[in-house]
Amino acid sequence: MNIQFRKDERFRESFSYVNSDAGVLRFPFPFGEDRYMYSVNIEPHTRGGPNPAFAHAFDIDEHYVAECRERALVLADDPGRCQVLPHMMPAQWDTLELLMESFAADYPEHFSLEKNGDTWRWINRPLGIEQTFVFGRPETLPCPPFEYITRQAQGDFTLQDQRDDNLFVDGGMVTTQADWSLDFDIGMSFHEWHGPVPLAHDIGVFDRALRFLLRLQYGHPVRRLNWTMTINPRLDTSPENYPDWGPDRTTVTPDNVSEKVHLRVELQTLFRLPRSNAILFGIRCYLLSLKDIERVEKWRKRLNRVLTTLPPELVEYKGLTRYRDTVLAHLAPRDDGAPLSSGIQPDQTTLPPSALSNQR
Amino acid sequence: MTDQGIKSRPIYAALRRDPSGRRHLYVSAGAEPPPPALCDGPLEGWSVGPPTAEGTRTPPEREGERRFRSASQLKATLARRLATERMGLRLYAEGPEDFLWDVFGIAQEHGLGRQEVFLKQAGTLARRVQCVHCKTLNEGVSTTIVRCAGCGANLFVRDHFSRRLSAFQGVKVDAEQPGDVPPAERAYP
Repeated sequence: MNIQFRKDERFRESFSYVNSDAGVLRFPFPFGEDRYMYSVNIEPHTRGGPNPAFAHAFDIDEHYVAECRERALVLADDPGRCQVLPHMMPAQWDTLELLMESFAADYPEHFSLEKNGDTWRWINRPLGIEQTFVFGRPETLPCPPFEYITRQAQGDFTLQDQRDDNLFVDGGMVTTQADWSLDFDIGMSFHEWHGPVPLAHDIGVFDRALRFLLRLQYGHPVRRLNWTMTINPRLDTSPENYPDWGPDRTTVTPDNVSEKVHLRVELQTLFRLPRSNAILFGIRCYLLSLKDIERVEKWRKRLNRVLTTLPPELVEYKGLTRYRDTVLAHLAPRDDGAPLSSGIQPDQTTLPPSALSNQR
Repeated sequence: MTDQGIKSRPIYAALRRDPSGRRHLYVSAGAEPPPPALCDGPLEGWSVGPPTAEGTRTPPEREGERRFRSASQLKATLARRLATERMGLRLYAEGPEDFLWDVFGIAQEHGLGRQEVFLKQAGTLARRVQCVHCKTLNEGVSTTIVRCAGCGANLFVRDHFSRRLSAFQGVKVDAEQPGDVPPAERAYP
């Protein structure tokens, strides 16, 4: 499979972001039912399942090159988006190994890894990188191993150290986040860094999730989907830069709603790492405009139902308050209330032209 | 407003002497003597004179007592002391939240385990607030909204607390509608 990368995309200021029809249909739509509430929706991260984005350990798509460039821009502006506490060096190498081996095995036309003892040769063709280095020797790489490899991956990553029957977020590369700060949260325990999430604590979601993750086994990764909404195809919705992107939320009108508003989905994956016993948490971000969601009949109707019934605490926490009604006014006339199949799959294999769905 | 339902806030219990310790050190950001529950045995007690003392110190009244001119001076001395400590020390700290977690951080840096340090909040509830945008630490914040000393943004003080920074998180309150700043309430006296 040869991915055609869209190299000129921009996720800031003069936005430029397009999904191909195949890109729309492989979007990991997060709603399997007409109502949404937090749950421990963790399942084995096995290949296959209802969405092509689940087919590889770490999904790469047409936005890969542009997203790596966006990450470099964020890091140039704010190096604190990548931090790892000093005791996590074994987990850094674990991460580098897992990502390089997965990329090379899953996308051999784009990545290669050759090992000669501890001397490794890494080739990343889309980014034009060739690097020979000694595994375990940070000075043979241009930057620390965790930063080195996550600069070449889509989505955010955090490293969880396991001790005292708890998980501590002791490192991360966080440049495409839904409004949380690694710089503030680094070092926190599982319940601490989830502190601001409403409702879920009271229904025991975090107690159960932590118990489950403490038993996560090497070789048996798991996944879940999480979601929010973002105005404009902006990857860096960090709290650090909230003064820059916060005003976007007041710009949604009935005329621009389907182009401005994006469903933001995180494909979250968790891998036990072999040497460090840490957990690598991948937070792979997908953006799809309302305009493209509408082209999938099931997703259009289901999104209307989910947003209509969303608990007010979640509307507030996810920052939807200022524009949810505008979105619903747009979606409601396009939902006839007919029953929808359960599950997240789109139930169609082709899309109507987006111009058509824009009229009605 | 003061309970935002955020679960990263520490909860503190009254200080009690841990009988498994061999030596016991109590540090306080105030001038009060150690609580009686700590005192049935040898105890070192470090305290800080009030600002009204203006740098003067009253002499110690009993063995193991030590007085500092400021919390900063106490913390610097604590770091030097812990660098030479051996196993068996139990550390008890009492004071405002930023002091407690500064002490906890110093203890961790010098190898004390989480089970060897005991914290009790006392004194002012004023908060250290880190501006999430410009990273400035704003000290002694007693209101729900504070103007950041670094970047000038009006920050809402979130209940989200970092033990590493001994600080709460401040987020620009009018980021979405610039100028739309609600009145600050005195919430953390």
